[in-house]
Amino acid sequence: MTIIDLPSSAADQERSEARIATRIWQHAFASTEFKIGLVVFVVLLSAALLYPWLSDIDPTKMNIRAKLTPPVFMGEDWTWAHPLGTDQLGRDMLARTLVGLRYSLLIGVSTTVLMVMVGALIGLFAGYFGGWVDTVLMRLTDAQLSIPMIILAITILGVSRPTIPSIILVLGLAGWPVYARVMRSMVMAERKKEFVRGAMVLGATDLRIMFALILPLVLPPMMFVAVLDIARMMIFESVLGFLGLGVQPPTPTFGNIIADGRKYLLNAWWIATMPGIFLVVTLTSINLMGAALERARNTVYGGT
Amino acid sequence: MALGTKASQTVLSVRNLSVAAVDAAGARPILSDISFDIESRRVLGVIGESGSGKTVLARSIVSWLTAPLKVTAGEIMFHGRDIVTDQAYARTLAGREIAYIGGNPAGALDPTMTVGAQLVEKLSAVRPDISTRDARDKAIRLLEAVRIPSADRRFHEYPFQYSGGMMQRVMIVDALISDPALLIADNITQPLDVTIAAQILKLMRELNEEFSTAILFICSSLPVACDASDDVMVLHDGRVVEHQKPEALVAAPQHSYTKGLIAELPTLWQDGPASEPQSPTRDQQAIISVRSAAKAYYVHSRGQAGMSRVQAVRNVDFDVFPGDNFGIVGESGCGKSSLMRLLTGLERPDSGTILFKGENVGEASPRRLRELRRKFQLVLQDPYGSLPPQSSIGNILEEPLKIHRIGSRSERRDRARSVMAEVGLSDTLYEHLPTNLSAGQRQRLNVARAIILEPQLLIMDETLSALDQTEQGKLLTLFERLQAQHGFTYIFISHDLTMVRRVCSRIAVMYLGETVEVAPNDRLFFDPGHPYTRALLSAAPTLEARRYRPEECLLEGEPPSPIDLPPGCAFASRCPNVFDRCHRENPTLRARGNSALASCFLIDEHESGPIPQESHNA
Repeated sequence: MTIIDLPSSAADQERSEARIATRIWQHAFASTEFKIGLVVFVVLLSAALLYPWLSDIDPTKMNIRAKLTPPVFMGEDWTWAHPLGTDQLGRDMLARTLVGLRYSLLIGVSTTVLMVMVGALIGLFAGYFGGWVDTVLMRLTDAQLSIPMIILAITILGVSRPTIPSIILVLGLAGWPVYARVMRSMVMAERKKEFVRGAMVLGATDLRIMFALILPLVLPPMMFVAVLDIARMMIFESVLGFLGLGVQPPTPTFGNIIADGRKYLLNAWWIATMPGIFLVVTLTSINLMGAALERARNTVYGGT
Repeated sequence: MALGTKASQTVLSVRNLSVAAVDAAGARPILSDISFDIESRRVLGVIGESGSGKTVLARSIVSWLTAPLKVTAGEIMFHGRDIVTDQAYARTLAGREIAYIGGNPAGALDPTMTVGAQLVEKLSAVRPDISTRDARDKAIRLLEAVRIPSADRRFHEYPFQYSGGMMQRVMIVDALISDPALLIADNITQPLDVTIAAQILKLMRELNEEFSTAILFICSSLPVACDASDDVMVLHDGRVVEHQKPEALVAAPQHSYTKGLIAELPTLWQDGPASEPQSPTRDQQAIISVRSAAKAYYVHSRGQAGMSRVQAVRNVDFDVFPGDNFGIVGESGCGKSSLMRLLTGLERPDSGTILFKGENVGEASPRRLRELRRKFQLVLQDPYGSLPPQSSIGNILEEPLKIHRIGSRSERRDRARSVMAEVGLSDTLYEHLPTNLSAGQRQRLNVARAIILEPQLLIMDETLSALDQTEQGKLLTLFERLQAQHGFTYIFISHDLTMVRRVCSRIAVMYLGETVEVAPNDRLFFDPGHPYTRALLSAAPTLEARRYRPEECLLEGEPPSPIDLPPGCAFASRCPNVFDRCHRENPTLRARGNSALASCFLIDEHESGPIPQESHNA
């Protein structure tokens, strides 16, 4: 009886001793992009989260005499007290941006998580069971898709008070149908494959096949899109802010900082620009990590 | 017709052809010094294992070589003009004078167009002057010529409504529609069942007579090539090692490679089962016992409102006894896979019973069915699609244990490692993905996954059909060993008669959803009771002298559609022994001596009356 083994290099052999998930992380960590993205993201996130303990500058404290101070090395009357300048009411921009980042990230990430969860769940059930389950769930999805998001938001947020949880709920509700559609078609493709039938014969329940077998296969490609949606949702929050339906002042978010800065774009460009720069840097760091992770997955799975 | 003359003339003449993969590192030869001629109306068979350069040869003739492949020497003369140097001439030939049929008809047809539209499009591309009406008439005429039933209706159907054999016929039409002088058939019978392949081969020969086309028939199976060709060329490592008439090649192979090839072929008639199957004691309870099981599906039909009823399985009766190797054979579409779904409880029969150790699988509650599934396991056909991607081998093996909540984490791990050792997979593969495993290794993994639950019955659904001879042999040895150790009972669902002959002690033959014959191995092969069994045996490709001649066993008729079954015997339309009772009444399985059953009126009625089931006791 011959024992089958695969020819492989010593390094491969060493790596293949580890679990697959561990191997993916190892591959990801080995890439420069991932390291850069991780460092930037961790610095930004901890600055945003730990801000109240790092500095005692209140992001809502007004100082009319120091209003519209430019960032350091810009213009004439800049000062180290306000490295990123101040806004029209003399509030410190660094403090406002960091706190704004905290709220914007909170809104962007939770909205996306909500969207993906609801959409994936509905798509999974519709695609797996088909038949009348599919019909009912997909008509529901179509109905949701036919309502323009802004109108939905104005209706709901106009009636109730726009708080952070209600904004998350509204944005999440408006965004899930796309995920449900994509998920459904991917699940339909997977469930026809022979390994699914194999699992049925082994005695696996439908729920087990859906969540343990199919979901891990279809979720990663969706997560890639979801990362981009975090940014989209942060922008949407600022759109709501424009309409006065976003997070209410004085709580700073990227949305209402940009809305404020719009009026001063000509003489105080930094008010609207600073949140934009932070947004770009944050998302770039997330994307760098996502791309590195995706590459690592492909290396380990070898294109399967 | 491209060729006006009746006399055969040389269509293609290849001289000292060499093809190499040329890249920065240098030239690696793929084909070296190949020379041959094909005359019109002749079939030249080319055989060789994968990697011997068969497809590269075909592609160099149709000028399809892509980088890094390059013709490095020699010439390919088509009607006396070299197509290697004269690329412009070569381009005028492809698809017109030289037609190519590949081995993947499903991939070659556009799924979004009707078959007819594709044929007409092809024809108007090569013959722009032809009117659409003429093109359609010609396409329908050719579809009739390749025996597509009701061709004028089928013309408007989509490829997915065709069976694999019919799609391959459409590809033949697609190739012939431009009246080519040379047809290159690259592995066209590989994906087909033996009987369908035999029919396609017969068809190719007849068309060859009719259309005076020269055929280059490329194939990896020696019996098929010998059957189909006037001359056979054996390709090995890019060289022609032998070029002979098929009879001479089989009788006196010159080259050691050919000798090895012939010696390796399985035989139907010479030796029986590899190990004498222990005759299982009939007095114990049958492990699986099927009684007049029936299952119908409803499908949408084009052009009609509502659904059509497809009777996939009907009148199926057999018993499988513990420790036995039971075979189920039949053509594609005979209901083997539907029966497999019934046996494994994936679907429930419309009527009849399927008893697993006396318990009705068809009526078990979902919970009970899940428990029963531990005792019978299925090993699937496709070594690639049947394993979940992105799971490590260890996880794949532990999944059944997790499903049935057996053992702790470390116990499951130990169990997985021990079955890996049992099927011959190295321990170090535990955390590996199955990506790099070969088809044979994947099937070992599939077997390991099935036996980890310690079942009593293993159903092998075409498990070995994706593997080559050597690999099949190794797995059969493994099955034997596992059977000896664990006392498994096997049901082999297969279309491969030589495999069934070698392994199974009792065999059921299915035709259009029915079991038409159930008999012990030797009896089935040497004294078949049903004319369909004889037809099936006559179509099996072997190099041995045939016991049954296809001409005597199979009438040129189409099997009836399972949507619209005739009242009498389903085989009546193709049966050489048909008489009027067969068209009125469907025969049931009746005994013919000890432990053999067949459903045919010609079996002596006085031997014993019709009995609907097998006897439990000897």
